[in-house]
Amino acid sequence: MHNHIKELRIKLNITQDQLAQRVNVRRETIVFLEQGKYNPSLKLAYLVAKELGTSLDKLFLFED
Amino acid sequence: MKLKHYQTIKLAAVIILAMAVSQSILFKNIFLPIIFMLATALILMLLRRRVKEVMADERDYQTGGQAALLAIQIYGWGATIGMLVLYGLRDYNLYYESIGLTLAYSCCFLFLLYGVIFRYYQKHKFADKKILYIIILFILFLGMAAFSLRLFSGEDDWQCQNGQWIPHGHPDFPAPTVPCK
Repeated sequence: MHNHIKELRIKLNITQDQLAQRVNVRRETIVFLEQGKYNPSLKLAYLVAKELGTSLDKLFLFED
Repeated sequence: MKLKHYQTIKLAAVIILAMAVSQSILFKNIFLPIIFMLATALILMLLRRRVKEVMADERDYQTGGQAALLAIQIYGWGATIGMLVLYGLRDYNLYYESIGLTLAYSCCFLFLLYGVIFRYYQKHKFADKKILYIIILFILFLGMAAFSLRLFSGEDDWQCQNGQWIPHGHPDFPAPTVPCK
């Protein structure tokens, strides 16, 4: 599942560590999220979208 | 408290615990490592609450769950095969049967514990951990009680009578080498 987390994070001038602290996860989890190697829970996905000021469907790209 | 400081303290605690266990073996004191383990676990638990950084998140729990399941499967297969092999070769060495039975009982206990926790998590929320801890402590208490009863009851053991070691029941190990007084 691809996403725009890295692009939006850089656009808002937020580091991976800062984003991790805001959504209460480890920095490594943000790294895996940005690389598309980890599918977050609904709660975490919602929190990340909220911190980046966007919605879930605009942040994550679901591929069939 | 920072995570790095907690990890340093944890490492030091493990080293001290290892030293305590080695000393307990020298002094033949089984209570010393138990006391140290409980004290260390309590101290680390209290210190962990003071760490402000995130120590484990949902990805760690997910990965840990998958790793634990695979580890249980590997141990189950290994212990079962090991038990069967050792039981088949018990005539060649007196200790093979005891080791095989230890593997079998440990495997049964592990799967029983896994089944109880799995069933609990299926029915209850992951946040309700207090009741789960109570159930686990109760199972551990039952296991330790059964183990202690078996170990200290004198059944299937060697007893010192009139200066000689007399078998009581069917002990799986040879007579003690210490003099019978």
